[in-house]
Amino acid sequence: MRLGRPGTLVDINAVVGLDGFERRKGALRIGATVRQRHVERSSAAAAVPLLGLALPFVGHRELRSRGTVCGSLAHADPGAELPAVALCLGATLEITGPSGRRTVRAADFFQGAMTTAVGTDEILSAVEFPAAGPGEGFGFAELARRHGDFALAGVVTRVRSRDGSVADAVLSGFGVSDRPVTRDVTELVRAAAGEADVETALRPGTEELARVMVDTAGDAHGSQGYRRRLFAVLAARELARANRRATESTS
Amino acid sequence: MTTTEHQRAVKAAADELIDVSFTVNGTPVTIRVPARMHLADALRQHLGLTGTHLGCEHGVCGMCTVLVDGDAARACLVFAVQAEGTDVVTVEGLGTQDDQHPLQQAFSHHHALQCGFCTPGFLMSSYDLLTHEPGVDDERLPEELSGVICRCTGYRGILAAVADVAEAHPEGVPAPRNCAPRTLVGRGGAATAAAPEAAPVGDAEEAVPTDITRPTGTPTITVEVTRLLTSPLDDIWAVMTDVHRLARCLPGAEMTEDLGDDRYRGRATVALGPVRLAFRGLARITERDESLHRLALLAQGADTGGNRTAADIGLRATATPDGGTELRADAAVFLSGRIAQFGRALAGDVSQRMFEQFAHALDETARTGQPPDVGAGPGALSIGVAAVRDAVRRRLAAVRTTLQERRARRRGC
Repeated sequence: MRLGRPGTLVDINAVVGLDGFERRKGALRIGATVRQRHVERSSAAAAVPLLGLALPFVGHRELRSRGTVCGSLAHADPGAELPAVALCLGATLEITGPSGRRTVRAADFFQGAMTTAVGTDEILSAVEFPAAGPGEGFGFAELARRHGDFALAGVVTRVRSRDGSVADAVLSGFGVSDRPVTRDVTELVRAAAGEADVETALRPGTEELARVMVDTAGDAHGSQGYRRRLFAVLAARELARANRRATESTS
Repeated sequence: MTTTEHQRAVKAAADELIDVSFTVNGTPVTIRVPARMHLADALRQHLGLTGTHLGCEHGVCGMCTVLVDGDAARACLVFAVQAEGTDVVTVEGLGTQDDQHPLQQAFSHHHALQCGFCTPGFLMSSYDLLTHEPGVDDERLPEELSGVICRCTGYRGILAAVADVAEAHPEGVPAPRNCAPRTLVGRGGAATAAAPEAAPVGDAEEAVPTDITRPTGTPTITVEVTRLLTSPLDDIWAVMTDVHRLARCLPGAEMTEDLGDDRYRGRATVALGPVRLAFRGLARITERDESLHRLALLAQGADTGGNRTAADIGLRATATPDGGTELRADAAVFLSGRIAQFGRALAGDVSQRMFEQFAHALDETARTGQPPDVGAGPGALSIGVAAVRDAVRRRLAAVRTTLQERRARRRGC
């Protein structure tokens, strides 16, 4: 929008070593210059099913062919999909600067709207998403006024089952605060998992969560109340879906 | 971390000029642009490729969608310097007016455009979609094509057009039809591999290289004219082979320097009403066939306003039974810069009229030994007047025909 007018711009596209894209010790490592569309098309991305669910919602095709996964994370728009995915999965972010490399957990990386742990003399050089293991299920949903727009509210869910019961469950939201937000919802999902209609059983819990997690004020596109309700509905639906997939994946 | 060899690290101020080399629609180009100029501006202003439109200039509207290394991208979100070493395809590469790409035909058939402003964006976006996802489901099209905004059509025609092409080409849409090395020189100092020594426009004298290459690709206009001259073939051929006299037959033209090896420098003025274009250029005679009375030449020119022209011209004289001569000219004319916006009809009319004046002057010269005064300028002015007059006449004739048809229909009812 021409709001930022940086005095110095550095094009890192040609820097050798930033284009890595590989499975590595139970994780998918994505270098700073790897395009979103490359990840979307790659079979390696199947290791992280949430990327496949979320990437089609990142802008449009034409933007994903130039946009990078790390770029989206480093930009840290509160309404963006990938930061919430990174948060939900507990991704590890690699920051490189004059004093070398350091790694930061996603929970510590996003510090506010378009504000991250990356210093002014540093770059986000790579991100590692943990690969999905057996017994894991995922869900993703967002509602935007048009496809490709930033979401009014969106949810990312992960449930891990072990021996037929919920081992842990995570709910992350985007477009609901000044940064992506996440909660451990293991108890909630565990309690609802035995019910005939898991989604309905989750609703009181997600409505409660919406009041805490959705703190964005309303705007022309939707009031705060609308967004909370939307978030509660999407969260219950996608937690139920993740739970179902987790159960299927163990059996 | 180091940079790869072909992409050297350059530190430049925001408005500093940087040389960028890449391929556009099959033509290798090198342009000199400010470091922070975006690709869409570079395509439009430096290469004359104004088919790429600009709407929002921040990646939302999709008007400027082009292919960068085979993937659709917003040309307003890519700096021109980032295009270094890439292969760019714009809507001009997709097809030509005479040889349209199936997508263009389908857009036309389904009336998928009204004002046409978004059409280049939609064509390039749908080309990208059907290339990467040939079997795409009709139901997914609204979502997949949501990256470009149209304010006229309501999208129905666009969706129908793309669905049609998807169905007709289940294995993937055919390749762009107009990608080949060609003459591509636009405003503001573009140079192509074909004319690497061309200097930035603004210094027209230096902008004229000392050699000339045959333009390739699809010409802006082609001219095929035959004229009957009264002078006998030998007299006509004598003038055709005398470059000095021949040059003076060209309306508005003047030869300024003989460079040897059949290469000549010259000036040409073309005036169309208030528009006066003064070209400096170079011509080379490439063929002089005594037995067939055939002469072929290449010409190229540039003016200080960034307009460029190149022409591949063939002239052939044949004796007629009545002792006169038939003169036939075939020319492929390439225009870039603002003059290209005149449109093919007017540019064709002007070229045709210039040839008629040339043929007349050639006849005069052959008859009297001295060329008439066509190089002074009024001749060029009258060309514009005549072209406009012809265009008006055609329009009036068309109106008359329509009126007559309407009257005929009314009578028939």
